[in-house]
Amino acid sequence: MASNQLVKDPFNVIITGVGGQGNVMASRILSNMLVQKGYFVTIGETFGASQRGGSVMSHIRISSHSTWSPQVPKGRAHIVVTLEPIEAIRVLANYGNEEVKVLTNTRPIYPAGVIAGESAYPAIEEIEATLKKLSHGVWLIDATEEAVKLGNPILGNIIMIGALSALGDLPVNRDDFNAVIRRTLPGDKVADNLKAFDMGAALLKN
Amino acid sequence: MEEKVLNRGQQKVRSNVLDAGLCTGCGACINLCPYYQSYRGKTAVLFPCTIDEGRCFAYCPKIEVDLEELSQRLFGKPYDGSPLGSCQSVLMSKATDIIKGSKPQAGGTVSALMYYALKKGFIDGAVLMDRQGLLPVPHFVGDANDVLACSQSKYTAAPALAEVNQAVKDGYKNIGMVGTPCQVLSAAKMRMNPLMKEDFIDPFGLIIGLFCTWAIDYRLFEPFVIKKIDIDQIEKIDIPPPPAEILQIFGKNGEKLEIPLSEIRELVPKGCSYCVDMTSEFSDLSVGVMEGRPDMNTLIIRTDRARRLVYGAQEEGYLQVSEMPEENLEHLMWAAGNKKRKGLIKACDEGLINATEETNSYLKIRQDILNKLIA
Amino acid sequence: MSHLTDTKKDASYLVMGNEAIVRGAIEAGVNVASGYPGTPSSEIIESLSRVASERNLYVEWSVNEKVALEVAAAASFAQLRSLCAMKQNGVNVASDFLLHLVGSGTRGGFVLVTCDDPGALSSVNEGESRYFSRLMEIPLLEPGNFQEAKDMTKWAFELSEELKQIVVVRSVTRMSHASGNIRYGELPDIERKAEFKYSGFIFDPEEGVVISAPVDWKHQQQQAKVKRAMEIFENCPFNTYEGPDKPELLLITSSACYLYSKEAVNVLGIEDRVGILKLGTTWPLPPKLLAKNLSRTQKIMIVEEVLPFLEENVKILAAEMAAEIGVKTFYGKKDGTIPMTNELNPDLVISGLSKILGMEYVPVSAEYDQLAKLSAFVGAPARDQVFCPGCPHRASFLSIHNALELDGRKGFVCGDIGCYSMAVRPTGFETLKTLHSMGSGMGVASGFGKLGQFGMDQPILAVCGDSTFYHAVIPALVNAVHNKANITLVVLDNSGTAMTGFQPHPGLDYNVMGDEVPCIDVAKICSAIGARVEITDPFDLKGTREMLNNLIEDSNGVKVLIMRKACALSPQRKNKKDFEMRVDETICLGEECGCNRFCTRIFRCPGLVWNEKKKKAEIDQVICAGCGVCADICPQHAIVKEEVA
Repeated sequence: MASNQLVKDPFNVIITGVGGQGNVMASRILSNMLVQKGYFVTIGETFGASQRGGSVMSHIRISSHSTWSPQVPKGRAHIVVTLEPIEAIRVLANYGNEEVKVLTNTRPIYPAGVIAGESAYPAIEEIEATLKKLSHGVWLIDATEEAVKLGNPILGNIIMIGALSALGDLPVNRDDFNAVIRRTLPGDKVADNLKAFDMGAALLKN
Repeated sequence: MEEKVLNRGQQKVRSNVLDAGLCTGCGACINLCPYYQSYRGKTAVLFPCTIDEGRCFAYCPKIEVDLEELSQRLFGKPYDGSPLGSCQSVLMSKATDIIKGSKPQAGGTVSALMYYALKKGFIDGAVLMDRQGLLPVPHFVGDANDVLACSQSKYTAAPALAEVNQAVKDGYKNIGMVGTPCQVLSAAKMRMNPLMKEDFIDPFGLIIGLFCTWAIDYRLFEPFVIKKIDIDQIEKIDIPPPPAEILQIFGKNGEKLEIPLSEIRELVPKGCSYCVDMTSEFSDLSVGVMEGRPDMNTLIIRTDRARRLVYGAQEEGYLQVSEMPEENLEHLMWAAGNKKRKGLIKACDEGLINATEETNSYLKIRQDILNKLIA
Repeated sequence: MSHLTDTKKDASYLVMGNEAIVRGAIEAGVNVASGYPGTPSSEIIESLSRVASERNLYVEWSVNEKVALEVAAAASFAQLRSLCAMKQNGVNVASDFLLHLVGSGTRGGFVLVTCDDPGALSSVNEGESRYFSRLMEIPLLEPGNFQEAKDMTKWAFELSEELKQIVVVRSVTRMSHASGNIRYGELPDIERKAEFKYSGFIFDPEEGVVISAPVDWKHQQQQAKVKRAMEIFENCPFNTYEGPDKPELLLITSSACYLYSKEAVNVLGIEDRVGILKLGTTWPLPPKLLAKNLSRTQKIMIVEEVLPFLEENVKILAAEMAAEIGVKTFYGKKDGTIPMTNELNPDLVISGLSKILGMEYVPVSAEYDQLAKLSAFVGAPARDQVFCPGCPHRASFLSIHNALELDGRKGFVCGDIGCYSMAVRPTGFETLKTLHSMGSGMGVASGFGKLGQFGMDQPILAVCGDSTFYHAVIPALVNAVHNKANITLVVLDNSGTAMTGFQPHPGLDYNVMGDEVPCIDVAKICSAIGARVEITDPFDLKGTREMLNNLIEDSNGVKVLIMRKACALSPQRKNKKDFEMRVDETICLGEECGCNRFCTRIFRCPGLVWNEKKKKAEIDQVICAGCGVCADICPQHAIVKEEVA
């Protein structure tokens, strides 16, 4: 059992994005980082049909003593990490509260209705203003852009995990990440993932 | 918001023309955008377009055709409702045998003139009608010799203007066209610069109109004929002049099929019954089969450029032209006037003329002229 | 090596519910596993296939769920342990065989895992499989957390072997697709030999023939097994009670709802007022256990998904035991305390509890709630499901849509389940007009195709996927040909069971274990049945559309068009662009007459975006899959494709 370093127990993290952004993998890696430290973690996620361009959401429940429900109750998210900016707003409508912290990638993935001109996508400044009103703190990171620089946009999810670790609210660090990816990823992917993790941590600190 | 949707140009084409059964498949709305396509004689809307009044709306010969404006702009005089429209002269004509390999139907005037126009550079290409089985297929030709392959009569509607639109897209600026009255009407609308573009150029160098009393709906014609003859083996289709009252189909192996016109009239699209134009009044010149003289054409010259073309062709031996007997002219005027009257009455009865509501306006015509015509 | 075969006892892993089920089966020494892919069940067979060689298993994706159940049954008859996994719809398909199976009984431990999908998170219904247990009179287990998912699955094999009857383990999406950390048990090293014994006395369950007759006698045997299960369930450790001895309210629940209930009680801080009876064995219910717990209080609340299965069964028992336990007040689905459609969550349970106990619960301030809801309404435009960038279905449905519009006779398409179900939405140009179970597009079309005598002159099309073709379309195709229905079937052949994650099917030359296997050719089957068969590449828009019109106009019975192009996520296409795409801004017409944003407004590939400032289309290079189709739909040829070397 873990020595309880959680600010809240259960501590609730929600990771969201759009199908194909590596949402599921990000929540898996983060959860494994916590499990290897002895925490109980429950991940609730929807995928399957949702992967076809729909919103994808993982609820991560972290506790030092028991298994929690795979769905966070309304208004009880502590940290929201989103791989797509408007998804953060969507999540806060159900799970937000005055104390929540929001970490979001700024790269939009336009919904089909927006591309078709049926609905409007807000400017990133508007999104930021909205998120600020609805949270205790907001961190915006252009993770996709940075990931493209690393050679693969999918690494955006790892950049976000790096940033989340650097935020300091969760008892996880680079060593935990390193241990998990060495166990779960093919060897040739480890270096790039570490680079992405470090980049995320650095971006948060700036 | 709802109002706005109703006013969408494509919406109107769809509800007032296509769904109302007025479309004759002229092709004026085809090859302009990805939203319209012609298939087996019918025009289909593939997807909704949200542009208020685009070219489909502007070119359609069944939407807001202002006869007065057309007449003023094309002939410089008011529309007076005369049966044959604006004419400089009405003649009879016949192609000579100067063009080798030519075997046109009736007098051959259309083929001879198009051949001549292309050869002499009056136009830089022409949209003509080819035939695949029963289906007329518009065909753009740039070479005079290709005219000959398209020299036969077709009795089903075809999207001729689709090919014109394509030719315009491809950069042609002096296009010749042979068309039925509805097709010629679309062409006339196009020539008016309906969207008021600053860099507008009239793309037509010559429009030859055909006489037409009705066309046959291909979608009805094909299943009707297919039971009787192999449509891939059709050599020629003809309607001999009255009193025969038959449509003849000749097979490549010498078969001959005769269908009473009473059966054929069942296959005429609804849109034809609103038509007020038998002789393609807004063309440069119009050509028809001459009553009682299956080897000759009636030829109506309407514009100066048509006159120059006809006399050039005559001088250089492509065409024989002579005066039209008074008796024939009278009969032609009677037939054309009759079609005009019937079409106007039907359209009037259904509120399609000078409609105040924008949604239902097929023709605009001066009220006093209208009153005179339907009296 | 997979963590699923870790031999270290008490090893702890974070596993998905489906993996927990798999580990349970491995700990039980399962020998044979079969199933048909269906979310949320697919990972069970997939994970088992990955450890197949290591654990000497036979694992297969069967052609459909009925055959899967038959394949697994054979192993049980031969004294092996077997598992069969499917989603809720699959149980309907398998149910005919299931009814016969429960009559004949089983030998080796036989577990049917059904994964229901309350809320239809990835289904087109939220059908219940639990009722089959009552209908077919077989034991039903429902794990209430991840550890139980493993432990109960293992126990289910033992129970099945003891009862000589198949045992159902029912999971739900929030269990199967959720993850939690569990502790592993030991792995067995018993080798079982397969032998089917049939020479014994006809009534001998071990060595006689395996049949459901004589029916009356067999049925009595079957009901005796249910009775025995009931006795076992009385003392089953998976049925637990937590809370005060005499609570104000007794909450009875099972499955994922147990976790929601626990959370709800915790959030409201009413652990001292509410007791939770978590049932792991939900059919047959153990009466003594129920009597004991129902006696604790007068108010009973039942929390379950979706229909009031548990509620009804508890109420029947309560009525039977009324003299002993007294009259109770029940709260649940029937009185509206808990909704009878959709999945549940902690908040719905909180709301039910607050109502019964007269409590007020405000999760966030009304001010925050309002602002957050308004912000989402204004600032988070809805995200409709769409075909992936590069998906062949977008091109296929564009051609089908266009062919029907050109034909102009109000033709329509009947469909079924797969990614292509989304063709009811704008992403598939709203082409699909009926949508039902696997293969039913063809069956329904076959029926439409016979309505000509009543004046129907609309062209009729059906679509199915390649995997669906084998699953349930073949009988409908036979029916249509034999009965001379005039219809066109489009097989959207994308080389795999794409929707559920690319499981192999009989049309491929490899199976789930990676063996080389003969592939069954769709075209040859259709030809042999007597249909006219054509094949096109859906990315050839012109050719495909022309072929479609040609087939629709051919009034000689059944025509089949196979549109063949691998899924954009398939191993052969994923992350491989055929073309580099770009938009030539100088010729893009944008909103003007002649285009009106055809690519972004109508074609709607996620790889295309609209630049509002420039009024031009653009390629999103991160999303674009490089299929090149948009170059062919651009009326202006402004979308340019360059072959990737």
